[in-house]
Amino acid sequence: MPLYEHVFIARQDVSSQQVDQMSDGFKSIIEEGGGKVSMVESWGLRSLTYKIKKNRKGHYVRLNIEAPTAAVLEMERQMRIHDDVLRFLTVRVDELDPNPAALLSSRGGRDDRRGGRDDRGPRRDRDDRPRRDDRPRRDDRPARDDAAKTETKGSA
Amino acid sequence: MTDRIPQVPVRRPFFRRRKTCPFSGTNAPKIDYKDVKLLQRFVSERGKMVPSRITAVSLKHQRKLAKAVKRARFLGLLPYTVD
Repeated sequence: MPLYEHVFIARQDVSSQQVDQMSDGFKSIIEEGGGKVSMVESWGLRSLTYKIKKNRKGHYVRLNIEAPTAAVLEMERQMRIHDDVLRFLTVRVDELDPNPAALLSSRGGRDDRRGGRDDRGPRRDRDDRPRRDDRPRRDDRPARDDAAKTETKGSA
Repeated sequence: MTDRIPQVPVRRPFFRRRKTCPFSGTNAPKIDYKDVKLLQRFVSERGKMVPSRITAVSLKHQRKLAKAVKRARFLGLLPYTVD
């Protein structure tokens, strides 16, 4: 059976319990279709970077699915009908990622992320500056060689 | 006359070290549409993707990156535009 990673966004007005109910409902659709959902991961209420159907925020839920195509299509059909689903994305993957999504670990706190100097990333704008040891050294300048040669020629 | 001109390769004064692709090699990060923090480094302040000639991402990974950015945009994790 193919593997899918699925993310859907629920409206901001629904409560988190309702979101859990929704994901349970979608999970049962998959299971009725002969598949299984190995992971349900809620990312909580996140703000959207742009308005989707006049919503500024949304509840994100990720599902790891192993199911026949028909079951996934049925779930997607139900989602299109469902009023509280703003958007969904199903991606077929070669292997399911059991780890929690990377964006969850960085969500710990916006404030302490900016905390100290040390947790800043490398400065991208400095990367392409020439390093000191890449500069031509004085002693392999061609000019001096040149001068030596002309001298010997003059004496001959 | 011409054969006396020394064939010393003149090094350019501002030699830039070739940057390597940030997604190649061991323990390189995986390109994933969910990793907003990672993707943000390859997107300009206006929300446009940064060309690979600046970020030195290899062509293969730039294609994957583009796909990941587009997925993240669709899910509202990254902006299409910022004004």
